[in-house]
Amino acid sequence: MKPMEIPTLQPRMKVIGREQALAIHTAALEILEKTGFKMEHPGVLEALAGAGCKVSEGGWVRMPAYLVEDALQSAPRQIALYDQKGNKTMPLTNGNPFYGTGSDATFTLDMETGERRRSVLSDLANYARLVDGLENISFCMSMANPVDVPVIEDIYVYVFAEMVKNTNKPIVFIADSGKDIAKIYEIASLVAGGEDILQQKPFLLNYSEAISPLRFPENVMERLVFCAEKKIPICLPSGSNAGGGSPITLAGAMALGIAENLVGLVIHQLFGKGSPFLFGPNVSVLDMKSTVVSYGCPEWSLTQAALADMRDELYGLPIWAFAGASDAKVMDAQAGAESMFSIITAMLSRCNLIHDVGFLEYGSTSSLEMITMANELVAMSRFFAGGIPVNEKTLALDAIERVVTGGSGSIFLMDDHTFENFMEAQFLPNLLDRSRYDSWEQSGAMDMYKRCNKEAKRILVEHRVEPKPDHILKEIETVLGR
Amino acid sequence: MTEFKALTESVIKGDIKAAVAETQKVLDAGQNIQSIIDDGLISAMDDVGERFSKGQIFVPQMLRSAKTMQECMKLIQPHFKEGEVTAKGKVVIGTVKGDLHDIGKNLVSMMLEGAGFTIIDLGVDVAPAAFVQKVKETGADIIGMSALLSTTMPAMRQTIDALKEAGIRDKVKVMIGGAPVTDNFAKEIKADAYAPDAGSAVIQTKKLLGLS
Repeated sequence: MKPMEIPTLQPRMKVIGREQALAIHTAALEILEKTGFKMEHPGVLEALAGAGCKVSEGGWVRMPAYLVEDALQSAPRQIALYDQKGNKTMPLTNGNPFYGTGSDATFTLDMETGERRRSVLSDLANYARLVDGLENISFCMSMANPVDVPVIEDIYVYVFAEMVKNTNKPIVFIADSGKDIAKIYEIASLVAGGEDILQQKPFLLNYSEAISPLRFPENVMERLVFCAEKKIPICLPSGSNAGGGSPITLAGAMALGIAENLVGLVIHQLFGKGSPFLFGPNVSVLDMKSTVVSYGCPEWSLTQAALADMRDELYGLPIWAFAGASDAKVMDAQAGAESMFSIITAMLSRCNLIHDVGFLEYGSTSSLEMITMANELVAMSRFFAGGIPVNEKTLALDAIERVVTGGSGSIFLMDDHTFENFMEAQFLPNLLDRSRYDSWEQSGAMDMYKRCNKEAKRILVEHRVEPKPDHILKEIETVLGR
Repeated sequence: MTEFKALTESVIKGDIKAAVAETQKVLDAGQNIQSIIDDGLISAMDDVGERFSKGQIFVPQMLRSAKTMQECMKLIQPHFKEGEVTAKGKVVIGTVKGDLHDIGKNLVSMMLEGAGFTIIDLGVDVAPAAFVQKVKETGADIIGMSALLSTTMPAMRQTIDALKEAGIRDKVKVMIGGAPVTDNFAKEIKADAYAPDAGSAVIQTKKLLGLS
């Protein structure tokens, strides 16, 4: 008989208990039933009233808890994103983590001069192509809010088109209202080869935000309803950052953010039962000195780890998260420390769709070098999360015996076991420098920022993004020209 | 001013109860109203502002001081006589058309009020015409506009255009801010000042009015 295999413990972090999870969930339900929320979309208001919500003057809505439970029942747990060629590259199930970039930074760290300057469309192309060429960056967001789009009302359509032209990976996109999202959907359908295929194998997910506390603007609801009806995956965090849009204490901030998310989920399922909805508020903190929303704080990592626990305990829906970003203004030690902190904790708590990789300056500046570094930090974290497989091969008793009894000159480095296993057994860094001092000095004494800069430039030159067919590019131009 | 020492200290500490009691005391003692405001309350807030800009205190502490000052002002207001008290300046403030975000705008309002300015807050989603009308109505010195979305930033330009059309652009200073707003954008639309955060909004306001 074959001996039993020893299962490998893959380290996984828990940060809250079941009672805490239930108490936060109950508080969220209480917010919706007792306090209520402000809904500014007339059609949604009508639908909520029809479903059993109490609607009072000024669009104030109180939602009974059973509607939430219904929506949690009908929302799918098995959400997957596909790449633009129809391959399932992001199954957001079983605690699978996927990292990707962020959206709409005002500034870019210039790759040539290192200076912070206003983002332009050509930056977007670079970010998308870099993402396409990096193994551990699974999806693409714009990273830039370009100043040079021809028509500002259509900024997100131009941004989407630019991403489509420069990557084949899944795209998380932003839209402004029901108007531009329809154009984006049109472009996406062209790329996928038809609406049906797009719905079957979605390569895109919409990121929208309501306004904390508890305010749901009309244009945001237009997007939510559009995505629900068209079965485009969507997430709807609202910026319930502790001390800003929500209470200063993390439990209250989570309860409020979850309440807001649940409102989105209920509406979403009313307009498109069974359509995919990614769960998750963004609960960072408002910095008590600068009033920026922090992208390097431990709190955001902690609340999203707690949300991952709540997913496992209660909700079952894949979650939206962040990592690989920093409040530092340049890619310095702070940037490295903060980005690794969120990358490893997001991995260990099994967050699913993890965005904002590559941000500096609390999300206001994007950096190609930061993304390139994060690609390696994700690999490092993934190695760690794999745990230590224990079996005959890895215990290597044969190798030990061979080397120990092999006489003089016998070393592990020479043994076949090393040659056969070293690629898997070790994490082999590419950018994290372990070279000896002299060779580091001889090759230019480059710090991590410089090495990442060089690597990003190399990828942008060497990596070939499979281009879209000419007729599709032409049709995209037609949509842009309208 | 030594006669306001206890008052300024309690405002700096954000001790509402003590500050209100001290205000009552100086009112009862017959102190000059303008002096209570300038040498007591505003001087305390200047001190708070300075501590904040040096990173010695946090936002909630500063806002608590501003709230304390407001409570004291409530007590003083009934004693105002026409022409006796002069405000530093009037600011009409709002989040621009199409934008519903107000945390930043509210923070700026509170800080400006704490610094002794009169604030007329128009709320969110404020149309260019509404800004224009309020400036005409109140004779405000400054318009403060906020935007969180790059898609609503053009409304800042439209508001400035509306001021021009109404023939009052040269009568009022324009200050803008918000996450996607930059100094260059402010120059491009010919705003008079750009404030990246609430603290600098106070500094810019003082500069625009020639107070510093």
